[in-house]
Amino acid sequence: MRAGNRGGPGVETFKYDNAIVRAFAIATVIWGLVGMAAGLLAATQMFWPALNMKLQFITFGRLRPLHTNAVIFAFVGNGMFMGVYYSLQRLCKARMFNDLLSWVNFWGWQAIIVSAAITLPLGLTTSKEYAELEWPIDIAIAVVWVIFTVNMFGTILRRRERHMYVAIWFYIATALTVAVLHIVNSMEVPASLFKSYSMYAGVQDALVQWWYGHNAVAFFLTTPYLGLMYYFLPKAASRPVFSYRLSIIHFWGLIFIYIWVGPHHLLYTALPDWAQSLGMVFSVMLVAPSWGGMLNGLLTLRGAWDKVRQDPMLKFMVAAVTAYGMATLEGPTMAIKSVWLFPRLYNTKLWSIKLANYHFWIALLGMVFYVVPIYVAGVTEGMMWKQFNKDGFLQYPNFLEVVQSIIPMYVLRAVGGILYLSGVVLMAFNLYKTAKSGQFQPDQEAQAAPLTREGASDEHSHGHRWLEAKPMTFTVLALVAVLIGGMVEIIPLWLVKQNVPTIASVKPYSSLELLGRDIYIREGCLGCHSQMVRPFRSETERYGEYSKAGEFVYDHPFTWGSKRTGPDLHRVGGKYPDAWHYNHMDDPRSTSPGSIMPRYPWLLTQTLDTACLPSRIKALRSVGVPYPAGYENGPAQKELEAQAAKVVGNRRRLPRRRNERLIVCEASNRLTKQEKRTGQIP
Amino acid sequence: MIQNVLSRIGGVGNYGVISICLFFVVFVGVLVWTFSLKPSYISEMRALPLDGAAPEPDADLTPNPGD
Repeated sequence: MRAGNRGGPGVETFKYDNAIVRAFAIATVIWGLVGMAAGLLAATQMFWPALNMKLQFITFGRLRPLHTNAVIFAFVGNGMFMGVYYSLQRLCKARMFNDLLSWVNFWGWQAIIVSAAITLPLGLTTSKEYAELEWPIDIAIAVVWVIFTVNMFGTILRRRERHMYVAIWFYIATALTVAVLHIVNSMEVPASLFKSYSMYAGVQDALVQWWYGHNAVAFFLTTPYLGLMYYFLPKAASRPVFSYRLSIIHFWGLIFIYIWVGPHHLLYTALPDWAQSLGMVFSVMLVAPSWGGMLNGLLTLRGAWDKVRQDPMLKFMVAAVTAYGMATLEGPTMAIKSVWLFPRLYNTKLWSIKLANYHFWIALLGMVFYVVPIYVAGVTEGMMWKQFNKDGFLQYPNFLEVVQSIIPMYVLRAVGGILYLSGVVLMAFNLYKTAKSGQFQPDQEAQAAPLTREGASDEHSHGHRWLEAKPMTFTVLALVAVLIGGMVEIIPLWLVKQNVPTIASVKPYSSLELLGRDIYIREGCLGCHSQMVRPFRSETERYGEYSKAGEFVYDHPFTWGSKRTGPDLHRVGGKYPDAWHYNHMDDPRSTSPGSIMPRYPWLLTQTLDTACLPSRIKALRSVGVPYPAGYENGPAQKELEAQAAKVVGNRRRLPRRRNERLIVCEASNRLTKQEKRTGQIP
Repeated sequence: MIQNVLSRIGGVGNYGVISICLFFVVFVGVLVWTFSLKPSYISEMRALPLDGAAPEPDADLTPNPGD
C-alpha cells in the first residue's frame, strides 16, 4: 500500500490489511472444529475400539496424529498467524510488508494442512510425534515458514514506530526457533516419494525428537501466544501491561531456559543420565519466568475485575493465562481471541455476549472433565504398575487389569471432549451471526509519522532500548540464546554416537522385520505402545530385561513411543508363538479378553509390497545401517520369503483360538520370571 | 557413561565453569539492563498497544443483537 500524505506535515496515511486477518480467523474456527471432532473420535475409540467403523484410515493409531496435527498446526497455527498479522501491523504502524507473501503464507499453510489430512490417514508418517508429516510436506512447511518470516521482518523494517513492543520480540523468537527446530528434526533420507528414514538413530533420534517436541510446544504454542497476550490482554482490558520490566525478564528468561528442557520427556530411558538431569534442572528453573509471565498477565487486570465479570473475552484470557501458569494450556484457550477480533474486523458488536459466556463456561467445564480424569488415570496406572504384593510379586501382573480400571476415566475424558466441542460450535455460530450483522472492512485506514533517521538511530541509545530499536541485532542475540541450549545438548549427542556401547548380538533388521517395522510405524502402534523398558524392578519383572542404548543403533527412526495405553513391546519378540500374534491382530479380544486395542484384520488380508525393499534398504544404508553390499538385489527378497514361510508354517502347526493359554504355557521358557512364578499370563 | 562421553571432549573441565559464567552474566545482565531503563521510556512502551486504538464498537450500552 503506497503511503499517502494528507494527514498533516510528516504524517502518512496507510491501510491495515484486515482481509488476511479474517482469512486466518475463519480458517482457525473451521480447523478447530475439524481437529477437535477428530480428537473426540480418537478419545471415544479408547474405550470403544469398534468406532473405527472397520476402516484402517480412521483407526486410533492413524487418527491420533491427525488430531494432534490438526489442533496444533491447523487450529493453533492459523490462530497464531491471525493474531500476529493483526497485532504486528498495529504495533509497527505499517501494513504487512507484501500482500502477495501474506496470501502465499495463507494458502500455502492451508495446502499443508490438507496434505496432512490426506497422508496421515493413509499411514504415510515418519512416526516422530508432532513431526509425522513426510519429507515433501516438511519441505513445504520450511518454504511457507520462510515466507512468513520474510513478510514479518519486512514489516518490522518498514515500521513507523521506533521501538519494538515486547510482543514483537516473542514473534521474532517464534519465527527463528521454529525454523531451526523443524529443519534439525526433519533431517531424513527419502526412500520414496512418501517414505523416509530419520538421519539419526535410536538415542540420538530420541533426543533430537524431544528437543524438537518440547520446543514445538514452547515456540509454536507458547511464545507466539505470549506475544499475543502482551498485545491483546492490555487491549481488551484497556489498561497497559502491569510491568514492562517483568515482560523483558519474562522474555529473556523464557527463551534462554526453554530450549534446554526437552530431555524431561525421556526420564529413565536409555538416554544418558547427564542429559536427563540437565533437562530436569532447567524444567524446574523454567517455572520462574513462566509464573512471572502469568502474574504479569493477571496483574494487568488489577482494577479491571469488574470488566472480567462482564466480558467473556477477558474470562477466556484469565482462564488461559492461569492455565499457562499451571500447565501451559494457553494455546487453545487463547485462540478464542477470535471472539475479540471478529467484531472489530466487521465493525460491529459481538452478536451475543450471553452465548459467548455460555461458551466460556462449557469450555471450562469440558477442560476440567478431560484434564482431571486423565490425571487420575495417570496416577492410578502408575501406582498399579509399580505395586508389589507382600510376597514380592507384582500385584497386577496382567496389564489388562490396569487398562480395565481406567476405562471409566477414558469415558469421562470423552464427555469433556463433547462439552468442549459443543462450546466451539456455539462460538462458530456466534461469530457467523456477528459477521452477518456487520460490514467487513478489508482495509482499515490509519495515520502515523514515518520513522526518521534520527529517530531510528535513537538519541539516547543505551541498554535495551538500543537493542530492540535494531531488529537485526536483537534477532541475532535471540538466536544465540536459543542456539546455546540446543548446541550444548546436541554436540555431546554426536559424541554419544561413538560411545553408545555396542552390543554384538544387535543386528540390522532382516528384510521381513524391516517391512514389519515400517507397518508398525504406518499403523501408529507407537501411539499406544512404548519400546523402552526402564531400569526398575517393577518394569523388569513385568517386561523383562531393561532397554539399553546400544540396542537401538539401527533404529531410524527410534520407536520408543511416549505413552503406554497398551503394554511395552520391547521384549515381546519371541515371547508368544506366531499363531498368538495372528489371532491377536485379527481380534485382540480373542487372546486378551477386555483389551481395548482395535482389530487389524487388514493386516491379515493385504498383500505385502516387497517392491519397495531395495529403495528402503539403500536409504537405510545411506544413514549408516550396515546392510552388506548387494543385499537389496536378491538376497533381501529371498531371505524375506524364507522367514515369512517359517512364520506361516508356525501358524499352521498350532491350533487356533481356544488353546492360546496352553500354547503360551508351552512357550513358557520365553516368559518373564514373574509369569513363570505366578503362572499368570498377560 | 558420562565420563566416557566427556573424556573425549578436549578441556571439558572448563565447560561447566563456562556454562555457569554464561548464565550468571546473561541473567544479571538482563536484570541490570531492565532496571536501568528510564520510567518515561517504560510508560511509553506500556502504552504502545493502546496507542491509536480503534473506537471500541461494543463500548456503548445498547444490548447485543443476539441477547
